[in-house]
Amino acid sequence: MAFVEQLIANLLYGAILGAVYGLATMGLSLIFGVLRIVNVGHGAFIMIGAFTAYWMFTLYGISPVLSLPLAMAAGMIIGVAVYLVVVKRLVDAPELATLLAMFAIGIFIEEAAKQIWGANYVGYSWEIGSISLPFTEIPYTKLVAFISSILIAAAVYVWFRKTKLGKAVRAVVEDREGALTCGIDVNKIYALSFSLGIGLTVLSGVLVTLFTPVGINAYMGGEYTLKAFVIAVLGGLASPWGAFYAGFIFGLIENGSYTLLGLIPGVEPFGLTRFVSFVVLMLVLLLKPTGLLGGE
Amino acid sequence: MKKLLVFVLVGMVLFFAGCAQQQPQQATTPAGPKEETLYFGAPISLSGKFAEEGKASLYGMQVAAKWINEHGGVKVGDTTYKIEIKYYDDESKKENVQSLIERLATVDKVKFILAPYSSGLTLAAAPIAEKYQVLLNSHGGASDYIFEQGYYYVVQTLSPASKYQTGFLDMVKKLDPNAKRVALVYEDGEFSRAVHQAAKEYAEELGFEIVYEKTYPAGATDLSPILNELKATNPDVIIGGGHFADGQLLAKQLAELNINVKAISILVAPTFPEFYEALGNKAEGICGPAQWEVGARYTPDVADELGVEWYGPTQDEFLAMYKELAGEDAVPPYQAAEAAAAVLSYAKAIEKAQSLDPAKVREAMNGLKFMCLYGLWQIDPETGKQVGHEMDIIQWQNGEKKIVWPEAAATADPCYPMPTWDEKASGATCGS
Repeated sequence: MAFVEQLIANLLYGAILGAVYGLATMGLSLIFGVLRIVNVGHGAFIMIGAFTAYWMFTLYGISPVLSLPLAMAAGMIIGVAVYLVVVKRLVDAPELATLLAMFAIGIFIEEAAKQIWGANYVGYSWEIGSISLPFTEIPYTKLVAFISSILIAAAVYVWFRKTKLGKAVRAVVEDREGALTCGIDVNKIYALSFSLGIGLTVLSGVLVTLFTPVGINAYMGGEYTLKAFVIAVLGGLASPWGAFYAGFIFGLIENGSYTLLGLIPGVEPFGLTRFVSFVVLMLVLLLKPTGLLGGE
Repeated sequence: MKKLLVFVLVGMVLFFAGCAQQQPQQATTPAGPKEETLYFGAPISLSGKFAEEGKASLYGMQVAAKWINEHGGVKVGDTTYKIEIKYYDDESKKENVQSLIERLATVDKVKFILAPYSSGLTLAAAPIAEKYQVLLNSHGGASDYIFEQGYYYVVQTLSPASKYQTGFLDMVKKLDPNAKRVALVYEDGEFSRAVHQAAKEYAEELGFEIVYEKTYPAGATDLSPILNELKATNPDVIIGGGHFADGQLLAKQLAELNINVKAISILVAPTFPEFYEALGNKAEGICGPAQWEVGARYTPDVADELGVEWYGPTQDEFLAMYKELAGEDAVPPYQAAEAAAAVLSYAKAIEKAQSLDPAKVREAMNGLKFMCLYGLWQIDPETGKQVGHEMDIIQWQNGEKKIVWPEAAATADPCYPMPTWDEKASGATCGS
């Protein structure tokens, strides 16, 4: 029975982690979808969100849930600034130029963060109890992360489907020239999408700390950048909700495969879970090269 | 004009010496007492995952160099050398470490190198130092494996990994002979592997039963799969960890999953004040091995009693000088003390050898035994492994870090068994 119980426990944690992963990838997909820019500095923005949650909690005792809108706003402002200063000039430049620029911005932010906040690994303890299940314990903070992720993803979905601006963004994704001839200010849409993408990414940094409230550090983003790329590709790269959906699956695979791999004698299952995630990615790409929810 | 002439002449001498592909013997120039600068090279992790530890070690080195310079420098023959640390940021990356060692040895012509932080990086540095026959003093690379490769120019200042968790096991055995079930959960890296392989062997020797042993990859952000599994094995004692972030995470998730044991010892993380800040009173009762701790008993008097020579700043001097560099509130972690000890050991060995030739200094190190604020310094002549220094076990009690083992060094009694997570959630601490 222990095996089944552990599998269920790991899948539960995987689902929660997956939702956070998913949201942490939406920003990346959005920016790629609209601007065709690969945000290699993705993790640095997640780190900003994590520090936002940390400082708000440590200095003012503000719960991380209330830090969510704050992080979103801060992220959007940073996003607009980065767009106006750097990205705007590079929209039509070769892909390598934007790749390098985003890489540089990522490094710049990380080093600036280290200068301002130091190199220490910090963390906070927001204790709101936990649910005791027969086979595991789930802290409410993780549930809050899970539910917030789903609600925010849903809100983004509705915004894209129902609002005029959201439709305009989709139009630009679909056909830039076409959108232009229909009177859509493509530059404005670019700025909006970029800042929205960064905003979502910074916000997801807060959710990341709800799941893992320790180990917050200027360089914490690297791990998430790597995973976000896998998830984004899995989800069809240009599709934010594809990314959310794929993140969910990624989390389930990452944690769920542990129990299954543990059945093989003589292997260290934890090291292999990433391997399995990548195998799944390759299989998906073989069978459906556009990703799970990718279009044509 | 005279200065310019000397400058040009020195330049020419150096140029020709370089052309002749000979090592310029800096100490052989005649004339009376002279003052020169001697550079100790160091790849330091100022960024990347060891930025925290790297920064502390750099401050430690600089404090030691400053103390040496203020106390007469290093005398070789008629020449007095002022010590300066020449360092580069290795970004916590092996590739960088290797090219930086090469650079220090060939471009900067440094003969004495202070190894980078962590076993992994030191292991990368060792073959390069050996190749250029420059000394490499490991102050942050504890893995025994480094010293089992037959390198001659690599020596160790800190206690080797095999000694990290053994004190904790001794302590548990003494406190509670009935605690038999040990679980090991550690990071999959050179250092933590070396520590826990040795700990496992030692535990079995002491009669403990290993009920669980698993590793997790570096950079893991969720340890729940491994801990859900561990919970079912019902251990009395957990030992594990690796570096900073994962150690914090391990403690946090043990609390979240409500896994109660009698004692826990985690590598590296509990020695930092941020550990308690991040976990709050959940950190109560958690132990960790420390190479050194503020309050450790090493003083010139102790050295006298043991009949060994004392060298370097006293602890109070060290703390004051560290604050000058690192800031008013800075308390040196053990990475600072061990790096300082490495610098002191170089200075001591160079004076003993009366030479700047790395081979001669290495030979002088074989018979060198001294005490500094970090403890005893003595190496095994064969491997270069540190044998003089002893590990402390620290434990968080009532929001303070106490030394609980070895008994002679202890500043408090061990808190055993540690409070359960539920007790801690309702405010229990080790003192209450």
